[in-house]
Amino acid sequence: MCCQGCRGAAEWIEQLGLGDYYRLRKQPAQKPDPNPDTYADHAAWRRPEIARHVTRNLSTGRRETMMLIDGVRCAACVWLIERALGSMPGVLSVQVNAASRRARVIWRDAEITLPQILAVLSRAGYRALPLDARALDDVRRRESRDALKRLLVAGFGAMQAMMYAAVLYLGGTDTLEPTTHELFRWLGFLVATPVVFYSARPFFAGALRYLRAHRLGMDVPVALAVAMIYGASLIEALSGEGHVYFDSVSMFVFFLLVGRYLEMRARHRAGDLTDALACLTPPFAQRRRDDGVLERIGIHELQVGDRVQVAEGGIVPADGVLLDERCRVNEALLSGESAPVNKQRHDALIAGSILIDGPAQLRIERVGADTTLAGIAALVGRAQAERPQLARAGERAATRFVARVLALTALTVVVWSFVDPARAFTAALAVLVVSCPCAFALAIPAAITRALAVLARRGVLVVKPDAIEALAAATHVVFDKTGTLTEPELALADIETFNGVSREAALKLAASIARESHHPAARAIAGACADKQLDAAVDVQSHAGLGVSAKAGGRQMRLGRADFALPLFSSEDLLELSSGRPDCDDAVLLADDAGPIAAFRLSERLRPGAREAVESLQVQGLKIIIASGDSAGKVADVAARLGLVDWHARQLPSDKLALLKALRAGGARVIAVGDGINDAPVLAGADVAIALAGGAELAQASSDIVLAGERLDTLAPARAIARHTLLVVRQNQRWSLFYNLVAMPLAALGFVHPWLAALGMSFSSLCVILNALRIGRQAAAHLRPSGNGARAELRAGVA
Amino acid sequence: MNILLVMIPLSIVLLIGAVAAFFWAVNHDQFDDMDTPSLLALDDNPVRQPIAGEELRR
Repeated sequence: MCCQGCRGAAEWIEQLGLGDYYRLRKQPAQKPDPNPDTYADHAAWRRPEIARHVTRNLSTGRRETMMLIDGVRCAACVWLIERALGSMPGVLSVQVNAASRRARVIWRDAEITLPQILAVLSRAGYRALPLDARALDDVRRRESRDALKRLLVAGFGAMQAMMYAAVLYLGGTDTLEPTTHELFRWLGFLVATPVVFYSARPFFAGALRYLRAHRLGMDVPVALAVAMIYGASLIEALSGEGHVYFDSVSMFVFFLLVGRYLEMRARHRAGDLTDALACLTPPFAQRRRDDGVLERIGIHELQVGDRVQVAEGGIVPADGVLLDERCRVNEALLSGESAPVNKQRHDALIAGSILIDGPAQLRIERVGADTTLAGIAALVGRAQAERPQLARAGERAATRFVARVLALTALTVVVWSFVDPARAFTAALAVLVVSCPCAFALAIPAAITRALAVLARRGVLVVKPDAIEALAAATHVVFDKTGTLTEPELALADIETFNGVSREAALKLAASIARESHHPAARAIAGACADKQLDAAVDVQSHAGLGVSAKAGGRQMRLGRADFALPLFSSEDLLELSSGRPDCDDAVLLADDAGPIAAFRLSERLRPGAREAVESLQVQGLKIIIASGDSAGKVADVAARLGLVDWHARQLPSDKLALLKALRAGGARVIAVGDGINDAPVLAGADVAIALAGGAELAQASSDIVLAGERLDTLAPARAIARHTLLVVRQNQRWSLFYNLVAMPLAALGFVHPWLAALGMSFSSLCVILNALRIGRQAAAHLRPSGNGARAELRAGVA
Repeated sequence: MNILLVMIPLSIVLLIGAVAAFFWAVNHDQFDDMDTPSLLALDDNPVRQPIAGEELRR
């Protein structure tokens, strides 16, 4: 079809039930878009097998999908899409990000379907694709190819036009014969025409879309300026007098396209991580049918409960459990840990991990958008779809700015037509061209997008972009100890039993309760018990910071801190219980109402890189505090090993929250670092919550920033990058303001020639973008991205 | 100045040729991935296929 408007009309006709006209018609008038297969059939998304691949089930009949929207250019598009979709009944939330051109839509399944949502979008003039890695890549490739071609045509055109113009400028009229003069004018026209009609087409299309939506976007003044310069030059060339601006219009388009191209590259980069993750699942899987025959099926045809065979070196297609005795897998892309992980029968295998020895059989438990991998990708995507406060303020400023530019242009025309009508046109042209809304609109998004991409490449996933601002301003870091500064895996060192209970019996009893909890200490106890045939514990309740209570073997048991497990014992009794062993309060106690049963002693190791992380944070001037629920002796030990003096032991979550509150009341801005699950309430109380999470927990972590791969040493560089980002944002804003304040009055007064104005505007845009691209360059000298990360990128690229 | 009548059409023909060559390159995947080839050059374990081919030939 010829344009988005026609498409919209056609959809409308279809919806009203008038579509039969097209089915009955024998000869089609004009073929629609050459690649309709990517989007024409919205109804295809209705098929559950396909819809499952792109949507995710939330609770109570709500579904969520992330889609890529083609044609989003800036704030106005975002507004339009949010309006159009938000007004539909059944649509609960719409979030659009212009920088990554993604929309996150949550809707109620009973009231609206995915095909309907897509239809609404296409009626508004936007083509939406529910995010599937392969479809996304195609759109992106087409966009980048188009942009490159347009850029090159504009570049060659500008070069040639300038050469021809140089003859006109330098040759003068006295040495050139009039016919030669005429020839060079028309040569300029010849090379500028493809530039205007081919290279500048995105600007015209964008401007049309804005005008149709009754909005002023950034493309409007640009398109207006290009059309005016070109039209005016053509008139001059026809009349054979005056000056032609074919060179400036080509140059103008070229510089604008360079800016757009760089922006597009940054945008694609930002999406790279998500797509790298989404690309990791293979397109096909080997399913074992009931009769034992293997069949090759598309990955989206996989169902929960299917038995799947993965070959050696193959990629696990969906989350499942191992049916074979044992195997080894590489989960580097999820945990950052490249060492093979041993799996035993009934262990969970995660989609995207690589089987090292095989083949292996597994039973599929979660498919498509429910897999851990998809969860991680959604987490990253959500971060990009959320517009930070900073960016929203920037967009509002840009829209106001465009309105002012147009007003000033009109004023310039009016005033000059009284003063000197001959110069009115040139001056108005100069005002339009010299004004640089792009610098305003790009100043913040360019920096934030770049920062998100740079951080993501280092394994720092920013869930809430506002966190960049808070991270940069932080003054204190509060670390949790267990699982954060130390390895999450505790090892059971010793068991002491009371009242003649055998060690094995005590361990079995404790393990049956402990396996219901995710606390590191509980996991260590559960893991130490070799016997997997345990009595099920019922009525399990975990008490944050204290322990777990449950009914096991018919008795009410408590497992945890001594004062929790034995609430009726006074502190003297507890002291007596420890019978002179000062470290007994470190132990995890198992007790029933009758008294203590056993004490479990655990040992812990410092996390690799913890010392370096702490040191480099201190170098940056941050105060570091340890707040742990653990006993004083162990916390003091860890603090001493890290060279820290400020530590708080025996902290309940409420104590930690109070500590954070006190710090913040004193004017500090606090980063809280924890494992994101056990101390979620504490993280919520900080200015920036940072969770260390790997694998399955990553998607659930409640935090602003996730350190994927559990690498503490990325924290200090991340803060350096955040600080640099804010600096760049401020520089960009100041520059845009300064440039426009200086350039626009000069242009309105008629001092700026249109070609100089074109140069100035492009220069200003380029400054902003190049400045944003500096983010991550300096920090790169301090810390190279991890080898794993680079290799992961490489693999994703090859795949 | 008559030489212009040769040089200018020549420059335009060359220009068109350059644009055509570039379009061809873009359409044949030469600009799709600007990052991976640079990484591949530094890969410690490049694809072994060519070596295997050599051994076969021997």
